[in-house]
Amino acid sequence: MSSKQFSTVVKFEFVRQIKKPSFWISILLMPAFIIGMFLISMLASGSKDAGPAQINENTKIVISDESGILPSDSPFLTKEDKEQGIEMVKNGDADLYFYIPSDFEETKKVELYHISEELDIFNTDGSVIKAILNQTVSSHFDDLDIIALTGNFDVVDNKLTSTGENANAVGKIVVPLVFLVIFFLFIVLFGSRFLMTVVEEKENRISEMILTSVSAKHLIVGKIIAMMLLGIIQMLTFIIPLVVAVFIYRDNPMVSGILSTVEINPVSIIENVILFVISVALVIGLCTYIGAITPTAKEASQFIGPIIIGLVFPLYFMSFFMAAEPNFLVQFLTYFPFSAPIALMLRTAFGTLSTPEFIIGCVEIAILAYGIIWITIRTFQKNAINFGIVKPKLLKRK
Amino acid sequence: MKNIVEIKNFRMDFGRKTVIKDLSFEVRAGEIFGLLGSNGSGKTTTLRALLGFYTPTSGELLIDGKPYDPEDGSVTVGYLPEERGLYRKEKVIDNLVYFGELKGLKNPREWAIKYLKRVKLDTKMDEKLEKLSGGQQQKIQLGVTIMNEPKLLILDEPTKGFDPMNRRLLMEIIEELHKKGTAVIMITHYMDEVEKLCDRAILLKDGVAHAYGTISEIKKQHKGKSLEQIFVDVYGGNDEQ
Repeated sequence: MSSKQFSTVVKFEFVRQIKKPSFWISILLMPAFIIGMFLISMLASGSKDAGPAQINENTKIVISDESGILPSDSPFLTKEDKEQGIEMVKNGDADLYFYIPSDFEETKKVELYHISEELDIFNTDGSVIKAILNQTVSSHFDDLDIIALTGNFDVVDNKLTSTGENANAVGKIVVPLVFLVIFFLFIVLFGSRFLMTVVEEKENRISEMILTSVSAKHLIVGKIIAMMLLGIIQMLTFIIPLVVAVFIYRDNPMVSGILSTVEINPVSIIENVILFVISVALVIGLCTYIGAITPTAKEASQFIGPIIIGLVFPLYFMSFFMAAEPNFLVQFLTYFPFSAPIALMLRTAFGTLSTPEFIIGCVEIAILAYGIIWITIRTFQKNAINFGIVKPKLLKRK
Repeated sequence: MKNIVEIKNFRMDFGRKTVIKDLSFEVRAGEIFGLLGSNGSGKTTTLRALLGFYTPTSGELLIDGKPYDPEDGSVTVGYLPEERGLYRKEKVIDNLVYFGELKGLKNPREWAIKYLKRVKLDTKMDEKLEKLSGGQQQKIQLGVTIMNEPKLLILDEPTKGFDPMNRRLLMEIIEELHKKGTAVIMITHYMDEVEKLCDRAILLKDGVAHAYGTISEIKKQHKGKSLEQIFVDVYGGNDEQ
């Protein structure tokens, strides 16, 4: 009987939410906003492509040509090998170092090395670099063949950080960032919905009638499952238009540039899925707990702001998370319970999280999520007929 | 006759305040039992503890020989609490069907339509509950309470706020269920209802049972006075028992 009651709760909560126009308005607005931002950034990057004006007479350009395709008296041509050329970039002796490999005629690929102070995902677009090379080469050569050549090869952009590390990490962070964005949307769109759905029984004085028909455990968990199903619908509503948009604009230089660098690493995906699931469980636990201790939706809604701020707090310190060595604040946010989900996601994305740290962080979040959901069920049962805010026992005056 | 409810040495403290000191009584299967007392005498607390909303400080509260579990199908309980409401933003029919499914009805929609016709609300079935008047909403709440023909029906001030028509409807429904063997525990301040409907009753005062037995036994203990007079005497301090 209990499994039937559980499925009844799931069905009821799911159907009544999905029938609400407000549900569809809220989940459709977000993808529309993101697509709008995407189109604006595409237009903006399109205008940037028109002028690689950063290259000027003072730009120190070095070219190694192992293929022999360039004339030996070509300007910028050096006899240094690839490693020495990269070292020149690191030392500041060269701003741009082009390496034309011996198999150039087959691969049609030229490697570019340059210093990058910060990650700029839109500057990995090959056409920008190609235009830079085109402009640079054409300003020094009248040979039409060479100018034509610049339009017919791919440039593998190898940005280096100021410390000489490869900064072209865009491909690695795309997948973790997608999980982070989905998690963020989940918090924003569903946090208050979770909270309201739990407080509803108390606010409408349904608690006693419902809890003599179904256990608190099945009621709360049923609501949670229903909300998670709605969350999946929301994610699909977000992801499907995105995939369609990417497919339609797959030939756009920016889109194809990003796609070509995306690194699909199964281990990374599994890590991110684990982190995402336990993080969602923590958010659900927090929101349902607030719903269980507050008597009305109005009072419950006062708590949702602080919860969201606590969860997204690490985003305010994004630059700290991008640093190779995590500082004290980053370490603190990684293990502080409420900031841990996004802190761990950021560090996973930027590759600054070791496996032991990842395991400790995940275990901490999982234990916390389980504990909060367990407390929520007990609190809801015991306070179903308490129509005031429940104070933790420690705070009660003796 | 078998007992459907057994309450043994029940004590309930809220912090330093003792609401129920030591209460023991039984409700027999198929009887209508009155739980009587002034406001604050612990009637609702007793029912809530019986249904597991409160953990008793001490004592045992059993339904059909065990603590109440809403998902144990062996005993069906219908409860109309003092604080009552339903999903206001949902349709009338959806409210009834949801509770019907939770209570294990085979065809909750069919039952709901039949009930709505009986209480003359069938034209409102697709309206949101909040659009109904207070009295109409009470009829829906009553439907939720009795829909599974419970073995034990617990009514906490069921006629509070009811107009005479709804009150008569409620009485009819209680009598119908009683005839089918349902035991009823009823909290009420209307002593005429108790005299008319109840087989036995308990009168609570200061956390203990002041009087307990059949209605005639209670009257006999109080020199044949009416229940209303007994109530006034007990709580007005004129009781000579």
